[in-house]
Amino acid sequence: MTPAADLRAEAEALARQLPNLNFKAEASEAAHIGSAGRRRAGTGEHFWQYRRYAQEDAADRVDWRRSAKGHDLFVRETELETARTVLFWCDDHPGFRWKGDGELRTKAEEATLLMLALSILLSKDGERIGALGAGRAPSFGKRAVDRLAEDFARGTGRKFPSPPRKPATLVVASDFYDPIPEWQARLAPLAAKCAEGIILAVASPTELDFAFQGRVKLHRPGTDMSRIFGRAETMREEYQKRYTAEREALRELTNRMGWRFVSHTTGTPPIRSAAQLKAQIESFGAKA
Amino acid sequence: MTQLGPFLLGAPWALAALLALPVIWWILRATPPAPKDIDLPSLRILEGAEPREETPARTPWWVWLIRTLAVIAAILGLAQPVYAPGAKTEDAGASGPVLIVMDNGWPSAPRWGELMNAATATLDGAERDAPVHLLLTAPQQLNANPAERMSRTDAAKRISSLRPLAWNTDRKDALERLRASGLRPSRIFWASDGLDSGSGRAFAEDLAAIAPMTVFAAPPRGPAAITAITSETDSVSVTLRRADPDGTERAFVSAMTLDGSALATAEVSFDGGATEAQADFTIPAAALARIARFAVTGRQGAGTVWLWDSADRSRRVGLVGAGADAQPLLSDMHYVRKALEPFASITEGDIETLVAESPDAIILTDVGQILPEDAERLAKWVEEGGALIRFAGPRLAAQGDDLLPVPLRRSSRALGGALAWDEPQALAPFPETSPFSGLTVPADVRVTQQVLARPGPDLATHTWARLADGSPLVTADTRGTGTIILFHITAGPDWANLAYSNVFSQMLRRSIAAGRGESTDEGDGAYTPKLTLDGYGRLSAPGQAAAPLKAADFATVQPSEAHPPGLYQGPAGTRALNAARGADPRMISAWPASAHLLGDAEARSMRLAGPLLAGAALLVALDLFIALLVAGRLPRFGRRTGAAAALFLGALAFAPYPDASAQAYQYELMPDGTYRRVTAGPTVVPLPGSANDPALGPALTMRFGYVKTTDNALNERTRAGLLGLSQILTLRTSVEPAPPDGLDLESSPLELYPLIYFAVPENAAPLPPQSVARLNAYLRSGGALVIDTRDGGDAGTDFRIARLESLLEGLDAPPLQPVPDNHVLTRSFYLLTDFPGRYPDRRLWIEKSGSPSQPRGDGVSGLFIGDADWVSAWAIDENGRDLYSVDGGAQQREMARRFGVNLVMYILTGSYKDDQVHLPALLERLGDRDEEDDREIRLPNNIPDGGPQ
Repeated sequence: MTPAADLRAEAEALARQLPNLNFKAEASEAAHIGSAGRRRAGTGEHFWQYRRYAQEDAADRVDWRRSAKGHDLFVRETELETARTVLFWCDDHPGFRWKGDGELRTKAEEATLLMLALSILLSKDGERIGALGAGRAPSFGKRAVDRLAEDFARGTGRKFPSPPRKPATLVVASDFYDPIPEWQARLAPLAAKCAEGIILAVASPTELDFAFQGRVKLHRPGTDMSRIFGRAETMREEYQKRYTAEREALRELTNRMGWRFVSHTTGTPPIRSAAQLKAQIESFGAKA
Repeated sequence: MTQLGPFLLGAPWALAALLALPVIWWILRATPPAPKDIDLPSLRILEGAEPREETPARTPWWVWLIRTLAVIAAILGLAQPVYAPGAKTEDAGASGPVLIVMDNGWPSAPRWGELMNAATATLDGAERDAPVHLLLTAPQQLNANPAERMSRTDAAKRISSLRPLAWNTDRKDALERLRASGLRPSRIFWASDGLDSGSGRAFAEDLAAIAPMTVFAAPPRGPAAITAITSETDSVSVTLRRADPDGTERAFVSAMTLDGSALATAEVSFDGGATEAQADFTIPAAALARIARFAVTGRQGAGTVWLWDSADRSRRVGLVGAGADAQPLLSDMHYVRKALEPFASITEGDIETLVAESPDAIILTDVGQILPEDAERLAKWVEEGGALIRFAGPRLAAQGDDLLPVPLRRSSRALGGALAWDEPQALAPFPETSPFSGLTVPADVRVTQQVLARPGPDLATHTWARLADGSPLVTADTRGTGTIILFHITAGPDWANLAYSNVFSQMLRRSIAAGRGESTDEGDGAYTPKLTLDGYGRLSAPGQAAAPLKAADFATVQPSEAHPPGLYQGPAGTRALNAARGADPRMISAWPASAHLLGDAEARSMRLAGPLLAGAALLVALDLFIALLVAGRLPRFGRRTGAAAALFLGALAFAPYPDASAQAYQYELMPDGTYRRVTAGPTVVPLPGSANDPALGPALTMRFGYVKTTDNALNERTRAGLLGLSQILTLRTSVEPAPPDGLDLESSPLELYPLIYFAVPENAAPLPPQSVARLNAYLRSGGALVIDTRDGGDAGTDFRIARLESLLEGLDAPPLQPVPDNHVLTRSFYLLTDFPGRYPDRRLWIEKSGSPSQPRGDGVSGLFIGDADWVSAWAIDENGRDLYSVDGGAQQREMARRFGVNLVMYILTGSYKDDQVHLPALLERLGDRDEEDDREIRLPNNIPDGGPQ
């Protein structure tokens, strides 16, 4: 397994190759709670309203430029802007933390790499990031990325986490090899709470190719499921057919939830998938 | 043991397991090889998918075959089968004791394995509980007692630990031992070497009379023994014998050096019916001297090795030196030396030392008179077996002595001269009785002058070679056990051109050999074993039992445990005792009628349990390997690995060998006779330590030394003086010495200092002899020692030499003289007339030039003795101020300094400035050449009293 520090460094490099995230697209302001403008006065960058000076306001809050136009004193208020919260979850099933022969990283590591790169971009942009089901509140800044990496390393104890208390944007990474109905049952509560989400499906080339021959005993890691095939090459066609169907079903499920689907194959350059991930998360801002 | 055809079975019931084979076969068939184990997280996708065709879970037939064969081999192996076609379980007396007689002399060595095998086979055939007794026929100190009962397994172990011995069997002795033991065997097995070494047949009959006997006879095939050797000047012939006279046979004999490299190989072929054959070597005499043994190639055994001792080979010849010769190529000795060099070790010296060394021969060329005591020594040496070879010549012709084989006429006879009628004479063929017989007489040898023997009745018998007209050319006579040989001509080409001929060296060599003869008396000298042969003919260190052997017994002694075959070291070099010397191996042809004779094939036995079980294990391993391969647990040797391996090998082949050019190697002969590769690159010697190594300073920078005495004030004064001198030198000359060093005469490296100043303290104790010896060595190696007694005094007082004599007792001082006028010392830098120090008008003593004990050739004195206290005049302090007053004030101090400069210049440049002294003479020579041509020109070093004034 690639050490966490290496992974982190690689994620930084990856994030540097991507253009800065443009999450605060204009259109998003109104549409989503949990994103930029909160439509009330507070701390923020954008102007909200002028209001009359009140007794309890400090003298330096007076906007002299506005007040000079008339006889009253005004205070300039900006719109309350709270950061958007993005929560990540990485499957910690042994089958996901697995790599085929001669592959560099496990699927989980690839997923972590992509999500860390995204989280670095997000944190640069001042968003709140965190791990889903980690038990700590999402936070800002570089520190948040470190915490996220820690939480990924710790995992969620092979349990699918319950939805967050407040709505957030979710990124869920897994290989999604469990039956689709099962996934539907898992994701439904999340989708009910959070309208925005990305499914990151990571697969290994070994799983895509099914290049086995002769007498083999196949075993699914983390389970006691195993099967012996006398001539594995005869199963390849069947397998690939089923695999494609499974992926299609997953994509279908994602669309139904209104989420986005990103797939990644280990061993291919992660920059492509990272860019795709970034584009998808930006699209949330662009849509509505 | 159960017999089953030609097999004996140790555990026959194990074969019952073969009945279970069908069951095993069925089980094996049902067990398919393990599948490859692979993880696949996406396996869930295939849930519910049924494969269209599944291979039957059957074992492939070849796997089944391997496993079945393994099981069969294991079962057969556990039955402990022995293949023994000759084994028979006898009925008669099967339970009685079995006696195994083994011949373990050298003739058994070539077929020892077969003998042991036959004996073991007999054990296998014997009843399980029958006691076994062992009788070995070669005599040995701690021999096996035939009465000792052994179990079958013990006996087998015992037999397999036996080795053939290097000496022959003694069957009479063996029979006696058997009788003495009182053993009554019920069966006898004799593993015999098949040779009738005197008593073989009788022994067989006696054994057959005791009990029913089975015999396995394994006489050596092919050449059995090297029995004799004869050597000529440059050839050796080796005699081989064989036991079986039938058929023709070829073998090869190698001549080897002591370290085992073969110098030559000769073929030997036995004709049908012959038991003896000869291998002839033609080897240059120089190479012959290196041969240490002969061995029949590819045949082991002490009998087929012949050690060649030094008695046959290197002769030590003493040449009586006639002193240095102006024309070495014309001297007689030159021809003798050249003729002998290839095959004799030559020592030169006077008669006394040569006789003391007791060489094989002493050669005198044209020595007329021998000193009476030398003649006595020579006569005694000849009496004791030396060969004295003399050559005639003008001096011998003039006056002979009595160390001559025949009385001589007091003149020489010249043939073919201007005033002679006769033609120069050729050589007559050598007489049959002469040791030279067989040498070809060169047709072109002519003798022009010779000394003539006085005719006498026994002259003919003493003559070894004649001229064509019958006059003796070589005569010889025995004195005691030695021989005196006289060549009636010179050894050089003055009187005859025989010395140019090849025959000359042959004649010399044979003379030496014949002169030594067989009669060399080694007296009671004992020879101790140095290297011995073991039964297989290998050289090894002598064992415990090997005892020294008297020289006289060499001819008669038979090799035995006390005197094993080998090389013996003694007073006259090494002598060899060979196992098969004079042996006559013959086969025992007639065996007693009652004896049961086993053929070669019958006597053999082979235990099959081991190979069978090993085969089973191998098959199981193969099966395991296959299983692993099928399960994919072995790394695949795919195309990529193969390509990588090929690339790697290619890279290895083409890679430049590391510093192949930088490192040169050479081979060096090690003491044990092997060659080892040693690096011959430049050796890097690290610089010693650091700069503060006390020896490094004076070696790198020139400086003066002074002898440290017990008087510290004086030491300081001397140091200050030399420091002052060093400064003056640095200022005024190109000599720039470093500050002086104090020296301890016993430990400091004196030789690093060009000048050592010894200021002698008052009442100094005499120097220890070690210091004086080091001072002597210093002076001999070219050092300069200045001894200053610092006594001073006025012009009237004389030098007090007595002090120095006691102080420097043992100093290798040459005769001294006061510095003469115009000595180089007076002009080596400044022109001086006087050498003042603190005291003026003192004398300086130096070595007398031209004295015979002068240590150095160029007449430069290395020793300076005076009492003017120069150091005080030179001494300065750190600021360069003068330390001590000088009698004559500044003027004298300056003169003292000038003397110091001159002294150092003289020491450093030697007599270089001497030339200046002779400048007038040289100018004279250049200018007035014509008038003064016959005048003697004085050369620099020959000038008495310092040259022209």
